[in-house]
Amino acid sequence: MRRMRALVLVSMLLLVFAAACGGGETTAGDGNGGNGGSDSGTAGKEGNDLLAVVKERGTLIASTDPAYPPQSSRTPDGELEGFDIDVTNEIAKRLGVEVEYETPPFNAIISGGWSGRWDLSVGSITITPERQKVLHFTPPYYFTPASIAVHSESSDIQDTESDLDGKKIGVCVECSYQFYLQKKLNIPGESPEYVVDDADIKTYDTDSTAIQELAVGPGVRLDAVMSALPTLEQAIGDDVPIKIVGAPLFYEPLGVAVDKESPEDPKAFFEEVSKIIEEMHSDGTLTEFAKKWYDGTDLSKKTS
Amino acid sequence: MAEAAVGGVRKTDTARPPRLSFTSKKYLTYGVIVIMGILVVLVFQFDLSFMREWLPYIARGTWFTLILCFGGIALAIPLALLGALGRLSRSGVLNGIANFYTSFFRGTPLLVQIYFIYFAFPQLAFKPGVPDFLEPFLVYDVIFAGILALGLNYGAYMTEIFRGGIQSIGHGQVEAAHALGMSAGQTMRRVVLPQAVRVIIPPTGNDFIAMLKDSSLVGVVGTVQELFNRAQVVGKAESRAFETLAIAALIYWFLTGVFSFFQGKLEKRYARGHVREEAHDG
Repeated sequence: MRRMRALVLVSMLLLVFAAACGGGETTAGDGNGGNGGSDSGTAGKEGNDLLAVVKERGTLIASTDPAYPPQSSRTPDGELEGFDIDVTNEIAKRLGVEVEYETPPFNAIISGGWSGRWDLSVGSITITPERQKVLHFTPPYYFTPASIAVHSESSDIQDTESDLDGKKIGVCVECSYQFYLQKKLNIPGESPEYVVDDADIKTYDTDSTAIQELAVGPGVRLDAVMSALPTLEQAIGDDVPIKIVGAPLFYEPLGVAVDKESPEDPKAFFEEVSKIIEEMHSDGTLTEFAKKWYDGTDLSKKTS
Repeated sequence: MAEAAVGGVRKTDTARPPRLSFTSKKYLTYGVIVIMGILVVLVFQFDLSFMREWLPYIARGTWFTLILCFGGIALAIPLALLGALGRLSRSGVLNGIANFYTSFFRGTPLLVQIYFIYFAFPQLAFKPGVPDFLEPFLVYDVIFAGILALGLNYGAYMTEIFRGGIQSIGHGQVEAAHALGMSAGQTMRRVVLPQAVRVIIPPTGNDFIAMLKDSSLVGVVGTVQELFNRAQVVGKAESRAFETLAIAALIYWFLTGVFSFFQGKLEKRYARGHVREEAHDG
């Protein structure tokens, strides 16, 4: 019995030891040099500087959600492509490092507390004061109009100002569109006009899912979807049976996000990335990318 | 029509045999259902070329699926053994630990466990007052978090399998072993466990096959691009949920078939000497 007990204790210790080693495994993935570095997060001690860590590592670990064309999506070879991807690759290039991608869920990104698993997010994130509590946002790298789409066979919603009241509207969870419908959207420099009353808000993990739900049929699961105009137009281009209704309801500034609670001090890294974004504006790189992905429209400049 | 009552006992009808045997009908029905599925795909014009285009990318996710379930089962088996020994132990302490383990990990959903290990632990790691050296024990890479969750969860369920297997070995053998002077540890290692293995293999094999499917829950986290996650993400982005999820479903089905086949072989091998042989002529 004594030996049995010893055996049990030894096994428990082995498990604990395995846990310690387990922290170092990689999550290799397809495309863009795999994703997930082996020491994301565990490499830095408190007081280390994130910028120094990234440069020493030689790789920028960025997060993205590849279910969001044309900002980010997969190609059949497993590579990533999109406006956000181009911007991220360019940032890495200007930092002088390679880039790898992680694909956490969107709400894990906007809630902060990334535990050092990735360094930044170029994920078309709307800058809001609530999010600024947990994330550093660079100056906007582009602006996107928020629009309403309905099923292509629907006819009861023509005027966004009056016909949307009380309707089932699909949005991505914790997105600016949800806040708009809840009438608590806080965008620095914008005061959106709330034209939708008592929306029956249906939340989904991401915009694409909401769009699929709308496409099921007019009023079947959703009456409308509120999302970024380019995303809706991309879906229409992919023959999803939806159509845009009305003019955009608001414009949102989108910034690159860095975790405030990063285990390594993110200040210098954040400032460097902000500087790069401003350079990319002034030297026309962002305009070039925007025109490439958004049908010639330069979304990197603020429109009315 | 020949139903004769003979001394109170009914003789069943001896009509002519059916044109198709039972087995043929079974497989024929199976085949018809499959063909109907294929027809649905063709008639309703689901995008076959899309499926062919994306098949390699989605199929490559199977690597991660396999890593997750092989890792998970490798962790679950020792845990199940320890749990079973703990539950059978005469020590109150070990019994208590084992009981808590099985109760907790069978009592909480696997998805919650995965999320807890991957998202909740790191929150603890960075709370003020928590020492730095604990960080690698709390912040897990998603694949390891998945393996850990799967292993802990299935280990708890398999504890009962192992316990049943161990207890199924007749107590007479244990007594005989003791009579021969073997210690409890020796008895377990040399007499009980080798025989228990044969009993344990079929339910363990079934659990492994179940774990193959449960690995898809780790994909829900999003960070690991295993089979389901790939199918889901591409389906969302390209508005082709049917095509991509059908690919994933078929691959899971195929893998299950492969694993079941090997499980059958394993069972046969361990059953040697225990199954009555068919009578031979002459």
